[in-house]
Amino acid sequence: MILNYLIYLDMENYRIFDSELDKLAHKVIQMCSQVNLQLIDVVLALRTNDLKLAKKVISDDELINSLDVKIDKLCQKIFALQQPVATDLRYIISSLKINNDLERVGDHATNIAKRIEPLQDYKSLVEELGIYEIGQKTTELFSKVVDLVKSHDLAIAETIMEEADALKDECKQIAAKVLEEMMHQSEVVVVATNLLVIINIFERISSYSINIAESITFVVNGEIVKHRKQQ
Amino acid sequence: MIMSENKIHTENMFLYYSGKMALNNISITIPEKKVTAFIGPSGCGKSTFLRSLNRMNDLIDGVRIDGKVMIDGVNIYDKNIDVVNLRKKVGMVFQKSNPFAKSIYENVAYGPKINGVNDKSHLDEIVETALKNAAIWEEVKDRLGDSALGLSGGQQQRLCIARTLAVNPEIVLMDEPASALDPLSTAKIEELIVQLKEKYTIVIVTHNMQQAARISDNTAFFYLGELIEHDKTKKIFTNPDKKQTEDYITGRFG
Repeated sequence: MILNYLIYLDMENYRIFDSELDKLAHKVIQMCSQVNLQLIDVVLALRTNDLKLAKKVISDDELINSLDVKIDKLCQKIFALQQPVATDLRYIISSLKINNDLERVGDHATNIAKRIEPLQDYKSLVEELGIYEIGQKTTELFSKVVDLVKSHDLAIAETIMEEADALKDECKQIAAKVLEEMMHQSEVVVVATNLLVIINIFERISSYSINIAESITFVVNGEIVKHRKQQ
Repeated sequence: MIMSENKIHTENMFLYYSGKMALNNISITIPEKKVTAFIGPSGCGKSTFLRSLNRMNDLIDGVRIDGKVMIDGVNIYDKNIDVVNLRKKVGMVFQKSNPFAKSIYENVAYGPKINGVNDKSHLDEIVETALKNAAIWEEVKDRLGDSALGLSGGQQQRLCIARTLAVNPEIVLMDEPASALDPLSTAKIEELIVQLKEKYTIVIVTHNMQQAARISDNTAFFYLGELIEHDKTKKIFTNPDKKQTEDYITGRFG
């Protein structure tokens, strides 16, 4: 058995309760890896126009949805039967939130997959606007999210928060360029609309990455770091 | 941090049973009109500490106490302290309900009577108020003359609380007051404790961590005779500062 939960805590004394938490930790990591795979596949499909791969991304969303329900149920069971406190409590609350964020990222990957076909005749425009690069950067960011969920290493959380902010700014700049294209060439309006949605999705994935980094920070030190910028 | 008017304050307090140290350097401030819970594994000193707050340990041979135990700014171990008056001011409820083998009425009237209240209508009023404050009046008002021993366990415990309240204390110490009761009676006692803090300072020892979490404003964790951590209950149960506290409340030892 992989004792993920105990690794986070660096604990020696094993409780019966820990097997449930290990199961949860295992499932959250599994969910995160699966979502990461979906994201890598969809960005690859976008770059290579691989419609078969895009279809696989759409059908694999089932796996994510089923894990999502399993994690929700497991958290519910632990809350009801174990009355968790302290780190255990923070871990379960955060698992629920992370699970939710991951499920959304999975949906977003599917959404991109559905928009690959209409882009086929506009490869050079897509390339020119830097859509592939932003996709690549988003997958790189998200692979750090996987590392973070596996390790609970707050240094990674800090890196994610910084890089995701920069990536969001980049997305906004590209979106502005796409709008400009739309104004100058009316024939690209349909494809550009799809591109705007895709860019918006990459921006959203950066936001979800920040959320997950914040949730892990909360597990580790009990500190609520979200909305830090606004304060 | 805990902010409120101080009621109880100890400073560098040590307690020895026949020379063996049972409490090691306890310094704590307990706020007025709040519920403070003491938690910790068996033998950690929490009940010993509770009992030292109204000098119940005086009754045990070989007990020695060093340091200060202040209530309202007065050291209760000073030579000129009247222990009977102290215990009037600092009442106590025990784990096992222990009503006198007398009527319900006499149980509650006993304290005021030995304190010199003889007027029948005044006694009636004290008994009614105490039983109401202990949330048992409605259940017993028609049978005040019946034996207290005929009440259920949960009712007996609330009667004992009424008996404590009848002498008008300022502090109520409770040593596992609900541990021998079923969930419904426990819920009644817990609800009562939360109501009582409007008028009284409550200090409660409990092994039931969820109970401490539900009813107390502040929680103090004791381990091996030491006070490890004392903070807002919300903080202790979501993000304690000390690893020993975390290990205990999450069930890793104790």
